[in-house]
Amino acid sequence: MHRSQVIGLAALILATPSAYGQAGPGGRAAGQSPAAKRPPATKHAQSYSAAQIQAGESRFVSQCGFCHGRDAQGGESGPDLTRSPLVAEDMRGNKLGPLILSGRPAAGMPAFSLSSTDVAAIVAFIHDAKSKAESAGGGRRTVDAEDLLTGNAEAGKQYFNGAGGCAKCHSLDGSFATVGARFQGLALLQRMLYPRIRDRRAAAPQVVKVTTAAGSTVTGTLAYRDEFTISLVDADGWTRTFPAASIKFEVDDPLLAHSEQLGRYTDQDMHDVFAYLQSLK
Amino acid sequence: MMIRFVSLALLCGAACAQSVDPGLLLKPPSDSWPTYHGDYSGQRHTSLTQITPANVHQITLAWAFQTNQTQQIKASPILVNGVIYLTTPDNIWAIDARTARQLWKYTYPMNEGFHIGHRGAAVYRDSVFLTTPDAHLVALNARDGAVKWNIAMVDSKRGYWSTNAPLLIRNHLIVGVSGDFDNLPGVLKSFDPTTGEVQWTFNSTPPAGTPGSISGGATGGQMWITGTYDPELNLLYVGTGNPTPVLNGDARKGDNPWTCSIVAVNPDTGKLAWGFQPSPHDTHDWDAVEVPVLVDASFQGAPRKLLLQTSRNGHFFVLDRTDGKNLLTTTFAAVNWTKGIDAQGRPIPNPDKEPRRDGRLVAPNETGATNYRSPSFDPTTGLLVVSAADGYGLYFFKQDHGAYGWAGADYDVWSRSAIRAIDYQTGKIRWSHEIGEGTGAAGVLTTASGVTFTGDAAGNALALRTTDGTTLWHATLGRMGNSPIAYELDGRQYILMAAGSSLYAWTLPSPPTAADSRN
Repeated sequence: MHRSQVIGLAALILATPSAYGQAGPGGRAAGQSPAAKRPPATKHAQSYSAAQIQAGESRFVSQCGFCHGRDAQGGESGPDLTRSPLVAEDMRGNKLGPLILSGRPAAGMPAFSLSSTDVAAIVAFIHDAKSKAESAGGGRRTVDAEDLLTGNAEAGKQYFNGAGGCAKCHSLDGSFATVGARFQGLALLQRMLYPRIRDRRAAAPQVVKVTTAAGSTVTGTLAYRDEFTISLVDADGWTRTFPAASIKFEVDDPLLAHSEQLGRYTDQDMHDVFAYLQSLK
Repeated sequence: MMIRFVSLALLCGAACAQSVDPGLLLKPPSDSWPTYHGDYSGQRHTSLTQITPANVHQITLAWAFQTNQTQQIKASPILVNGVIYLTTPDNIWAIDARTARQLWKYTYPMNEGFHIGHRGAAVYRDSVFLTTPDAHLVALNARDGAVKWNIAMVDSKRGYWSTNAPLLIRNHLIVGVSGDFDNLPGVLKSFDPTTGEVQWTFNSTPPAGTPGSISGGATGGQMWITGTYDPELNLLYVGTGNPTPVLNGDARKGDNPWTCSIVAVNPDTGKLAWGFQPSPHDTHDWDAVEVPVLVDASFQGAPRKLLLQTSRNGHFFVLDRTDGKNLLTTTFAAVNWTKGIDAQGRPIPNPDKEPRRDGRLVAPNETGATNYRSPSFDPTTGLLVVSAADGYGLYFFKQDHGAYGWAGADYDVWSRSAIRAIDYQTGKIRWSHEIGEGTGAAGVLTTASGVTFTGDAAGNALALRTTDGTTLWHATLGRMGNSPIAYELDGRQYILMAAGSSLYAWTLPSPPTAADSRN
């Protein structure tokens, strides 16, 4: 028997559109935790045959399941796909298909060599898994923003301005003053601990100044670094690469203080600073 | 000497060349790497000395073998009788070591098991063995890859899979499985390599719900890395993985033996001789499966039968492998989860670092201070060289996460890696060679001539001086994902390593002369 499954409608009906948007005017009532923020809803209703979903499950489990979980709700290292914005935006594989085939090597996801039939089946399964996760109410292997609010914002402010040394780089003059409005929950905590986790490009770049053997200097954004090579993107957008042994270079990593702080935070410090940042709106 | 060698080779060439006697593994000839670790000790150390710190910068590519797949090679190749056997999930290649020509390839039928990695093959007489993502064990004819038999080791429908490189001890083919996403007992099995019949099963944990079990209700403790073996004591040493449910420690009170443990097992009976637990009551997925390296050496002035492990939880352990008694426990990477070391030499977990609703910042991260990549022991310097990482992760657990499978959530925050050389007598780090942010995936091979082969966290294969960690050579191949091996063929030493989905063989540009060896 062939049975089509319509995906996305249930979620669309269950929640008001504002619940998925950024917090702010028109969002949930003041004082309500952003934890109530549901995973992004499927934007385009789409249906797949039960046979295709079943075929997709088989391919998904074998190729993707270890990292993303057999139910697509997260596995040993990969994220919960049922809460992924990309999955929510995807329409019949227009976003997921290219990603599966090219991978995200920098994030540890390999490229997969799969037929278009297999990719389509995997996409069908992911959408079905998302639909199931939403109708089940979710909650499994997820971290809600309200879970994180155990700290003391005032103590966090003191740590921020004092022992933590955060105020050496961060002031409340600019956009940082509203960081708690722009990011909530785990996304904010991860950015706080190490901003490059969430988005390599959004985080403050490392700036490198290279002095060549001939004495000229080149400054740019660090693009790659290993023991043997320094590669930067210069002001005109060109990538320039130098053998590390034959130049002098200085790297200014604005995030160094973040990685160094990881060994210094107590969990209480971490939760206090988080509470303080979450209060900055 | 030379004449005798030649005549033996001729005899074998005619009569016995293609059949591998299990006795070979007791003292592997230099023209072989017949088992995952190269030999039973797990030292991943070669006695070959053609390639030296002085000439390693000259090594050149002898050949590369392309698997033409997107799967990264994580396996150690093995080599017997001039044939290399290389695996990825579902696939095994037989490759002519002299030409890199594919002799045959076997692909296992499409299946639903996890295709996350594969560690390697094993050989016995004229059979080659492959474990599969759906937890089967397949025996192939070494001549042509034809299937001899194919058995289910455990039921993959319950959530088991296998990546394991089997270990052959006499007529016992010993194989482990994986399975972290379900509450499954830890299983190690011994099979008759001729028939595939089960000889014994060792369970590191009992089935879920077993009353009065010593595991305290924990399942898991899967043995997914190949063990090591002491023929004199007739004991097999295997590391066991994390307990399940993985991050929910409340559901399984106590130490949860024998998860996150090193167990000594009689290979004839499967009976436990002793166990030692690197991570009592683990709640961070820190398998203690890392290679139990066997070393016969002096410790505090007396000759001892030692077992060394650099464990995923960041600790270095030295045990007396006759009885499992701890001799030394230190750390080799960032660690913030302990309240000290107990009287048995085990780290004492700090309950405040167990996963919690609001998250705990824990070092190491889940990937661990090290992982499946092999370390190497260099007897000359007494150094255990390991690819280590200082990392931090966020760990969460709340009751909503339940008590089945993963039962929690965790996220990597940041890590930085280094190749570290540990003095086995003190645990002190003799040198640390930084390999970049993130985590390296390459294992380590040391040579008797004082060279350490490994890889960095970016895309470079490295040769370091074993005494001080100085870089002697590098090649940008792409990320190395396996542990290198070494052998000598037709008078030349080769180093094999995998990067991406290709295998690379390195050798000196010309065979060394007598003058070279005098230098």
